[in-house]
Amino acid sequence: MRTNLNLFFAAIFLIAIVSGWEWPYIAKLMPVYVAALPGLILVLIQLYRDATNWESRVEVKAGGIEMDEVYQAKLDSKTETLRTVIFFGWYVGGAIGIWLIGIVYALPILVFFYARIDGNEKWIPSLILGACTYLLIWGLFEYLLDARWPPGALFR
Amino acid sequence: MELSIIDAAAKGFFNILQFETFLALLVGVSIGTFTAVAPQGLGMPLVYAIMLPVVIKWNPMTGIALLIGASSVSAICAAYLPILFGIPGGSGSQATVLDGYPMGKRGEGRRALGASFMAGGMGALIGTLTLAAAVPVAQPLIYLMGSPELFVVMLWGLSMVAVLSGRRPIKGLAAAALGLLVAMVGQQAQSGIMRFVYNQPYLLDGFAISIIALALFGIPSALDLALTKLGVEQQPVPLKGSLFDGVKDTIREWWLVIRCSFVGVWIGIVPGLGSQVVDWLAYGHAAQSSKNPENFGRGDVRGVIAPESANDAKDGGDLITTLLLGFPQGVVTALFIVALLAWGYLPGPEMVKKNLDVVYSIIWIQGISGIVGTLVGFVLAAQLAKLAQVRYTFMVPLLFIFILMGAFSVNRDPVDLLVVVSFGVLGFFMRRFGYPRPAMILGLVLGDLMEKYLYRSMASYGFSWLARPAVIVLLILSAISFFFTIRGRLKSSSVGPASLKRAMARTGDEN
Repeated sequence: MRTNLNLFFAAIFLIAIVSGWEWPYIAKLMPVYVAALPGLILVLIQLYRDATNWESRVEVKAGGIEMDEVYQAKLDSKTETLRTVIFFGWYVGGAIGIWLIGIVYALPILVFFYARIDGNEKWIPSLILGACTYLLIWGLFEYLLDARWPPGALFR
Repeated sequence: MELSIIDAAAKGFFNILQFETFLALLVGVSIGTFTAVAPQGLGMPLVYAIMLPVVIKWNPMTGIALLIGASSVSAICAAYLPILFGIPGGSGSQATVLDGYPMGKRGEGRRALGASFMAGGMGALIGTLTLAAAVPVAQPLIYLMGSPELFVVMLWGLSMVAVLSGRRPIKGLAAAALGLLVAMVGQQAQSGIMRFVYNQPYLLDGFAISIIALALFGIPSALDLALTKLGVEQQPVPLKGSLFDGVKDTIREWWLVIRCSFVGVWIGIVPGLGSQVVDWLAYGHAAQSSKNPENFGRGDVRGVIAPESANDAKDGGDLITTLLLGFPQGVVTALFIVALLAWGYLPGPEMVKKNLDVVYSIIWIQGISGIVGTLVGFVLAAQLAKLAQVRYTFMVPLLFIFILMGAFSVNRDPVDLLVVVSFGVLGFFMRRFGYPRPAMILGLVLGDLMEKYLYRSMASYGFSWLARPAVIVLLILSAISFFFTIRGRLKSSSVGPASLKRAMARTGDEN
């Protein structure tokens, strides 16, 4: 997977170089010469480092800060993958729901179903959670602030 | 008749000594606090836009108190989301997530919040004092900053990637390059050429930074809870630290607070930099100047103190430009100028000449708001920190609301939802495989601005802009900063046996 991510980045940089190659100099200076070309070279170096296991031999000697959270596995790989896929499934479902029926209805429904199904919460707390979400989205934005949310694709 | 500075300051103070002014300040503080903890859709620009038609009918001092009170407190309380939920706060508080959230997960949320409010309060005070002192001297300095100088400042900001990438320089630079690339999507203002648009109307205006930041950090944080099926502070660690510990940390790091506050004031003063970079520059400075930079990104309280003090001090700097020169630093200050114009004041040199007492009234209100905001933050922190103990079945849905509604509210376009989920997946893999996400955000934030200022510099001066005195000074400062970074890293690479062992253990964790 690590290699796949590197390859994905390499593909992005490569597409950017090919797409921007014919642009005038002023338009391609930053995206092609400053970002994509150096980016591609860096990713290729990273691919080499991963292929030769260079980091695990040398990285321990390097100082400096850890800029981002360091990933730490907390579960066995199978459970983690399954829960990750389910988690992103909720987001994708939420996004599709908002597109189809609008955020005013989709988000409370998503919140209710997540609490009820994934969280195994009882009916009453799940319903209260969904109702609070509805009050926030409709009550605060549409009713109090008069900021209308767009309707879903099915209601247009 | 023109007033002396002392007379104006005194008159400005007496102007605000009215019951309704303090009442409006309290209402503004409440609105600001709510905005700081509310989903992203309810940002300060929206609050200003809603309040403006109402407040311009009021007495000017009352209206100013409400507007300044709201924005000032919103900045001070912006650390709630990054510390408690791992969601980047509004722009200016994004870097706080790097150390604030690990502290929250370690059971030290209260300590992080205490440090954040204390640093924010001190920063706001330093910003206000600088604003008061700047009235007679700031104007010539502001006019000194042209496009070439701004470009060098951007370059300086980008050099922070070298600081922030720490142990993963190649991945950090690649992530920054990806950020720069993403920033280039859309129609180029200078040439009108569509870049990476591929006939998709959505891509014409490029990606919204707020959506990408929300996705890269917010979704993986929510995933943490969904994976372990525990709340932030229900992770298997004991709760430790109090608000007062955070206050003590901040007082101990007083010199860092002062330095970062001046970084914030400076960013606020310089037109065109805006709040997107202030927290990252302050964070980078704190990490760079630290004797043990390896602790940053893993729950070091200095990583909370630095961005928060700079972010809150920036408001003072913003007002220097807004009041003394009359041009806005962003949407909020633009709306504030609209309000001032409606009350009959013309911000800029004319206001300094004719309404110096009002300028000082605004300064007084800004100072008082900073103090009140800090107190409010402390009072509410203990209650809000309990949110982190809520079980995941409530927390994850809450994050659904923050993330999906936050993203959807930017353009109200369903494609934004696709973007937030896609970048969320990217953020998940980047964190999983050690590509630093902050480097990508920094590239994204700076890319557009760098290109704009480089183009303007070249169009106006050719290559001769490199010989401008201010550019040379800034380049030297950037080089010195970069040199100390590299030297620091070389020093820390010759680690002693104990720290080497620790580093090896960490590498073991990652593999």
